[in-house]
Amino acid sequence: MEHTNHSDLLPDVLRQGIVVFVFLAALTALEFFVAVEIGTLVLLAAIAVVKVGLILYYYMHIYRLNSQDGDLDRHEYQYKLGTNRIGLWLFLLSDSFIFGGLFVSRFNLLGVQPIPLASDSQYIALTITSVLLLSSFFMNRAEVSMEHGSRRGFVFGIASTMILGLIFLVGVVVVEWPSAINAGVTPSSNAAGSIFFIMTGMHAFHVLTGVIFLGIVLRNGLRGVYSPERHWAVEAATIYWHFVDVIWVFFYSALYLVGKLI
Amino acid sequence: MRHYVIAGVLVIVLAVATYAGLMAVHLMPAQASAQAVTIDNLWNLELAVISFLFALIMVPLLYSLFVFRRRKDEKGEGEHIEGNTTLEITWTVVPLILVLVFAYLGTYTLGEVLAVDPNAMEVDVIARQWAWQFDYPQGFSSKELHLLVNHQVVLNMKSLDVLHDFYVPQFRIKQDILPGEITTYRITPTMIGDFTAECAQLCGTGHTYMTATVIVQSQSDYDAWIKAQEAAAAAAAQTPLGRGQQLVAQNGCTGCHSVDGSSTGIAPTWKGLYQSQVKLNNGTAVTADAAYLTESIVSPSAKIVAGFQDNVMPKTFGTALTQSQISDIVTYIESLK
Amino acid sequence: MKKFFTSALIRGLLWQLIGWIVGVLFLTGIRMLMGLPPLVSGQYLFTEPAWVFGALVGAVSYVAGTGAMTDWFKWAKGEDVPEHREDPPGWEKYINVSLDHKVIGIQYTVTALFLLSIGGLFALIFRAELAHSGLQFLSLTTYNTLMSLHGIIMIIGILLGVAGMINYLTPLLVGAQDMAFPRLNAFSYWLAPPATIIMLTVLLFGGVDTGWWGYPPLSEQAPLGMQMFFLSVAVAGWSSILGALNMLATVLRMRTQGMTGMRMPIFVWSAIATSLISLTATQLIGLAFQLVMFSRMLGMGFFDAAKGGNPILFQHLFWFYSHPAVYVFVLPGFGIISELLPVFARKPLFGYRFVAMASLGIALVGFLVWAHHMFASGMNPYLRVPFMFSTLLVAVPTGVKFFSWVATLWKGKIETPTPMLFTIGAIVVFLLGGLSGPPNATVATDLHLNNTYWIVGHFHDTMFGGYIFPFFAAIYYWFPKATGRKLNETMGKIHFWMMTPSFLVLTLLMMRVGLLGMRRRVADYDPALGFDNYHLVMTIAGFLIALSVLLFFYNLIVSVKHGELATDNVWHSRSPEWQVPSPMPVHNYDRPFEVVGEPYDYGLPGSVYVKFKENKSKAHK
Repeated sequence: MEHTNHSDLLPDVLRQGIVVFVFLAALTALEFFVAVEIGTLVLLAAIAVVKVGLILYYYMHIYRLNSQDGDLDRHEYQYKLGTNRIGLWLFLLSDSFIFGGLFVSRFNLLGVQPIPLASDSQYIALTITSVLLLSSFFMNRAEVSMEHGSRRGFVFGIASTMILGLIFLVGVVVVEWPSAINAGVTPSSNAAGSIFFIMTGMHAFHVLTGVIFLGIVLRNGLRGVYSPERHWAVEAATIYWHFVDVIWVFFYSALYLVGKLI
Repeated sequence: MRHYVIAGVLVIVLAVATYAGLMAVHLMPAQASAQAVTIDNLWNLELAVISFLFALIMVPLLYSLFVFRRRKDEKGEGEHIEGNTTLEITWTVVPLILVLVFAYLGTYTLGEVLAVDPNAMEVDVIARQWAWQFDYPQGFSSKELHLLVNHQVVLNMKSLDVLHDFYVPQFRIKQDILPGEITTYRITPTMIGDFTAECAQLCGTGHTYMTATVIVQSQSDYDAWIKAQEAAAAAAAQTPLGRGQQLVAQNGCTGCHSVDGSSTGIAPTWKGLYQSQVKLNNGTAVTADAAYLTESIVSPSAKIVAGFQDNVMPKTFGTALTQSQISDIVTYIESLK
Repeated sequence: MKKFFTSALIRGLLWQLIGWIVGVLFLTGIRMLMGLPPLVSGQYLFTEPAWVFGALVGAVSYVAGTGAMTDWFKWAKGEDVPEHREDPPGWEKYINVSLDHKVIGIQYTVTALFLLSIGGLFALIFRAELAHSGLQFLSLTTYNTLMSLHGIIMIIGILLGVAGMINYLTPLLVGAQDMAFPRLNAFSYWLAPPATIIMLTVLLFGGVDTGWWGYPPLSEQAPLGMQMFFLSVAVAGWSSILGALNMLATVLRMRTQGMTGMRMPIFVWSAIATSLISLTATQLIGLAFQLVMFSRMLGMGFFDAAKGGNPILFQHLFWFYSHPAVYVFVLPGFGIISELLPVFARKPLFGYRFVAMASLGIALVGFLVWAHHMFASGMNPYLRVPFMFSTLLVAVPTGVKFFSWVATLWKGKIETPTPMLFTIGAIVVFLLGGLSGPPNATVATDLHLNNTYWIVGHFHDTMFGGYIFPFFAAIYYWFPKATGRKLNETMGKIHFWMMTPSFLVLTLLMMRVGLLGMRRRVADYDPALGFDNYHLVMTIAGFLIALSVLLFFYNLIVSVKHGELATDNVWHSRSPEWQVPSPMPVHNYDRPFEVVGEPYDYGLPGSVYVKFKENKSKAHK
């Protein structure tokens, strides 16, 4: 993945990031509307596929996965960077299988029946989904800032991402879960409750590890460990954070939007 | 060239010999159902292909090891052959075609095996750890499965606890049994005789001995048996002892407790139990009076007999059975001297 | 002695014990704070969640205690860490954390042999019980536990042995100094000892009665040992996943100049296919087991029909991994066969391209067949048909390999030292395993065969032919590369000729009794069936196999110090690792090499595969 250090690239990449984010947000809103008002699974699935396509496009084209570094010595930093990137993507490929398994289990157990959550769950979920999508925007901003030597931008971006991530976690664990339990949807009530808690729990665990990872990166960044030329940890944390966000984009639809709830 | 000819001939010889050998040793048990015949036909066809493929690989392999071995003090390497695209495509495409043929035959055979006879009779099967119960539409339960020869039967099966599986090797079919949903087993027995149904899905401690007798009978014998069971059920319902015996059959007690004194390894025998001295696992001894027997049904963990485990007997009988049902069962146990 | 007791292996054990205790007490404390009962009356004092959490903390503590994570902690603190670490020269490097893939490969291999021996020992115990009808000395519950542990311990042993082969060989074959992520490699290995310890504690916590599959509802009722079983598999599974990640990154990024896809040693293709499966599918068995673990601890109803759950869902999740897993077991072995036949037949591998693609083909199709394990499960009856098609389809790429192997031998100039004997043995044994597959693929016949000893014979043949025999072949073959000495040839031949006929008899008799209706996973059988003589012979065969393995261990131990010296290219192989002296230099290739020809051009005068460069490679930091 090549990034030239020209400062005019910053607005370019940032602009593309904003565009993608806005699209994702708009699609999510559309999903919400479609699910709640129209209730067709096919349309929901189509929107989900479009979202995935957008995200993949962002990464494939803007980050250009294929690097032309075959001539470099294997021990050079630039070469190792490429190897690290492949390692991270392989890890995310593996991790997506657990989430895929959970996703499939939801439909095996419940078909397209909705999970009988309380009515305010929809709004809580839409809120925390927006929070998580917004956090990805700030995450992207933090990484781009680091690449272009903007320390303030980096710190602000990471801190904002962490705060929004924590808000998401609080939203799930402190607001959504008790709300679900009050509505009779508990881990042991029935299959619907079980799948709800395991999916949100597994995802929240990944958000938590992401926040911890970001904390480490923030601390090291403040101590000057990273530079525009060497900041693999920042890039890794960013990609991981986006991954966790993408997973939620699918889980949110599967848990809240499938089946008409309102 | 001669290598190919010799190997070719040997392949055919070995294939035929292998097939003949396999057919001669009677690999399969007796065919006791219509479905067994269909299945065995597919099986025999598969054996033929297996024999051929076995020969096709073994002959050139052994031939090479022998004919193309390096002799003592012989120098040099093998022939520099990198491949042969035509041959490689052939041995990809031909097996592919063979696979599709067998997949089709497999589909066809499955269809035959599942063929529904609208006149099939039905029996309900209840599987539990570790006993079988067969409920007949005439309104009685039996520990043995009696079937009518040449008449299709549909077993509607369900489990009260974990996964089980109903399997009779001579019938050739098995089907898992689930809690919470009915699975069906459709068979047309064609041979009069006694067979054994075995549980074929590991279901815990008693899996090894979870078997039931399957008796295939002629029309007259079958009708006689049905009549006798109906009469026995009616008579049994009159006395505590009879009711107790029925309840025992219905609740699978004899899956773990024998009535003839034999050891199952899972639970104490009932023969001679009443009023005997029972050694418990805490070193004390008690008399197996009616109170003890009742307590053992309702609260199995209260006293554990030495040499047996706690948490094996279901704890649900106290709520699942009424007091009078429990008392009838105790009466039955008392009768086993 | 002191070196042993201060090693990472032992240090880790201490940390695991401490971590386990801390974890148990911590969760018990949390329970007290939450107002839940902290203890249980009866057997194990602490609650199940406490024991499970403790075991998890114990496993992590083991690895942290070895020091395998220390560099990562330093990176997290922003500190720099030297790129390479030199190992001490003696045997102690094998029981400490090493970043050298060759040391890690040997660690994996030795651990694998240890686990395979334990699994084998359990088998000998219940085979002694099964030799006669009637229960002689095992109780029904002890039999269930030993049988279940035999299965899972063998499987984990195979996964570790696969990791051993892949780790040792891949950098050597692609011309790399080490794997792409050496620290991740060490971490992956050091997950194996704690996983083994946890698995062995199953015996202390009441055993398991479910077989290695752990199907609910039975596994939801099983003793506490079930949780240890699940956790152990999860820990070992992570070892598998991370090792696969490392392998794929290595192949993509660390190949030497000139090594295009079609010029890699063929074993690398097998390793790629294997790693693609390990990387992805393993997560599903983790998920399936995790769902049961949580069901037990939180009352979750995924598989409980009374709560709207579905026991068949477990089977889908479980087999989605466990079928591709068998290809993880056999693809590396197939790679070994493809690698060794050209050397001993002095002939090119026939149809390299097709053989390489067949590995990928097997991996891909292998993902599409899982429900053939569920034909009698009560799954949707019509869904069985596409799975029958896909299962039969796997025979095609497997057949391509078999035909290619035979064609490689044909017109060769064949020698049969011990590695070659095991290679040929692998082909013959797997042939029987593979040919006993299609009747299981056609649904109607499978309804008779499923869950009988026919299946047991089928998978023992495929496992031995696809893994065990090639594993032995690989050890006999690369032992000189690792140690500079050969294993004793006479003992090797005795090992082979004792093991192979015994094994064939064992599995053919398994198939026989299975066809006649003997179910699997039973501690006893009806004497009226007439199986007593068959079982006696099977038990004797099993003991003969064990004896041959003991001879092999003796050979290993003696040959390390006293084996015939073999510091050159003893097999006259064209492969790069044999172009440098044995034992393999610590940094593999002091002078890098370039690929200038085809890997298997035996019999082509003047052809060269690799050419070493004049300059030494860049200094190691």
